Amino acid sequence: MISMVSLAIRYLFSRKRQSLFTLLGIFLGAGGFVVISGFFLGFRFFFIDNLVNNSAHIFIQARQEFLEPHSLDESFFKNETKHVFWKSIPAGEKDYHRIESPQGWYERLDSDPKIEAYSPQLVVPALFSKGGSPIAAGFTGCLPEKQARVNTVAANMVEGKFSDIGGGGNRIIVGQELLKRLGAKIFENVMVTVGVGKQTPFQIVGTFDSGNKRSDLQAYGPLADVQRANHTLNLINEIDVRLFDYEQSSTKATTWSALSSETIESWDQRNSSIFTMFALQAMMRNIIVFVIMLVAGFGIYNVLMMTVSQKMKDIAILQAMGYESWEIRLLFLFQGFLLGVVGALLGLIAGFFICQYLQTLPFGGRPGATRPPGHLTIELTMGIYLQASLLSMMSALIASYLPARAAAKFTPIEIIRGGAV
Amino acid sequence: MSIVAKDVGKKIGDPPTQILTSINFEIPDGQFLSLTGHSGSGKSTLLYLLSGLDCVSSGSVIVDQVDLSRMKKKEVAHFRNEKIGFVFQFNYLIAELSVLENVLLPAKKYGQEKNRLELAKSILEKVGLIEKLNRLPRQLSGGEEQRVAIARSLVMGPKYLFADEPTGSLDTGNGEIVMKMLKEVHEQKGTTVILVTHEPDYARRAQRQVSLADGRIISDSGPSLELSLPV
Repeated sequence: MISMVSLAIRYLFSRKRQSLFTLLGIFLGAGGFVVISGFFLGFRFFFIDNLVNNSAHIFIQARQEFLEPHSLDESFFKNETKHVFWKSIPAGEKDYHRIESPQGWYERLDSDPKIEAYSPQLVVPALFSKGGSPIAAGFTGCLPEKQARVNTVAANMVEGKFSDIGGGGNRIIVGQELLKRLGAKIFENVMVTVGVGKQTPFQIVGTFDSGNKRSDLQAYGPLADVQRANHTLNLINEIDVRLFDYEQSSTKATTWSALSSETIESWDQRNSSIFTMFALQAMMRNIIVFVIMLVAGFGIYNVLMMTVSQKMKDIAILQAMGYESWEIRLLFLFQGFLLGVVGALLGLIAGFFICQYLQTLPFGGRPGATRPPGHLTIELTMGIYLQASLLSMMSALIASYLPARAAAKFTPIEIIRGGAV
Repeated sequence: MSIVAKDVGKKIGDPPTQILTSINFEIPDGQFLSLTGHSGSGKSTLLYLLSGLDCVSSGSVIVDQVDLSRMKKKEVAHFRNEKIGFVFQFNYLIAELSVLENVLLPAKKYGQEKNRLELAKSILEKVGLIEKLNRLPRQLSGGEEQRVAIARSLVMGPKYLFADEPTGSLDTGNGEIVMKMLKEVHEQKGTTVILVTHEPDYARRAQRQVSLADGRIISDSGPSLELSLPV
């Protein structure tokens, strides 16, 4: 067996240019896989990391209920008539949606050891104005000490502290985007319209920058003040929950959904469309790599087929000397395998260094943002390198199998018989 | 012990063409036999059948009382490696290996290259190539290449040496050297040598001459013939 291995190496060295070109194919395939996978997976992890760290893991929201054509029959006519026909059929959202039994939820969440923190909220659409045109934005009433534990708003503060809204007194924290659109400054008052349309003055005591323009178009205020402004005292319509292990979010959300009437979504269920995009991205990555490997495989196949046709006499003499078919097969399979191993190894090394360089490139941030841009996230896990090695070697072995089989199929006499009868 | 051909027939191609018909003869151990005949007479085919490189279409070839057609592939491979030495018209050296590596190639099959190293060197010395054992085949002349091929066929100490027109591609001088080597192997080691040639002069130097025409034996000087013409 060793003699076949050393002979295979001699064969490869005897046609250096062909071997180098074939090696280049595998090298590009393996290196390309590492870089493309590192980039795509890095982006995916960056995105998930942002989602998981910046926001809560589970969102418990009041179920939106809608009026049915006969849902008001009893309220208006009790038992006076059997059949009610409406000129204008009742439709639309039923009442103001709320978490029906917040206390029940608090007890459940307090007793669950997997829950790190939760924050009851009243989230309402609001119009903010400071003299000019009103700006529509989200307004979240919360308990600041609880809210700070479920998302990163407290950590993203640019001016002031998130706990500054804890004392009540109509104080709010606004996102940088909202502040910019309002043309307001810290400690200035703005008018906020929620619920029935009455304006309430709130003082801006801090600003935050999450790095996401959309997230920064909102404001946080004390829960009681927002409830009062909205004329919905003691009402909450959302509980944001953070788990110790975010990977259990969807399981937990599904379990709670089955037990309650609220709408419950985990962070990944809420962003399912993005995960579909990631799946497409993964498919694209696989297609690109498959094409590269296919081309590299064809390179190996062609080179080895050519070698087989050039080495027919060698095959004949080896068999005449007692070498068996499996050894002839090994002679050619090993050439492909060796090209695969060396090509993959070089590709992995090159891929690693390219990934290291890509990691230094600035990424993120936006013009005018207070947060400095980060760097490109590149995934460098062992799994990628293992996959790249396996793919390269598999491609090389598959591509060399057919030439190896063809070589082993000949009998010495078939080769020699050319002119000998 | 001997090589026995019993009613051997061989067809090749599609549609099948009869190459050999009813070949019957026996080669006693230690005999130097030449197979002669015109091109297409079937002499090389007979050589391949006797050496186990090819399979009979009918009849049987029995070597050392074993029917080659009943051997498993692994057994045939072992038989070729251990008992058979083969010299072809074209030397078929492996271009990437040195002279010594080429000679030791049969020994490598079962990891015996270290045991056979000294033997390989002594054979190369006898054939006058000890100075060139690290050279590649392309650095040798045609005659030298053929001598390396003979050295390779002898490194396992084969009981049977088959030579298929080993002088066919050589000039007279090198042809003579090759014939002398075959004769020495036969005389000194007692190796059975079966030589295919269409050179009447070389054929006559064998102890026994068998002639073929159209796939049949047309003359056989007989197994007991003891010719010892000067080489």
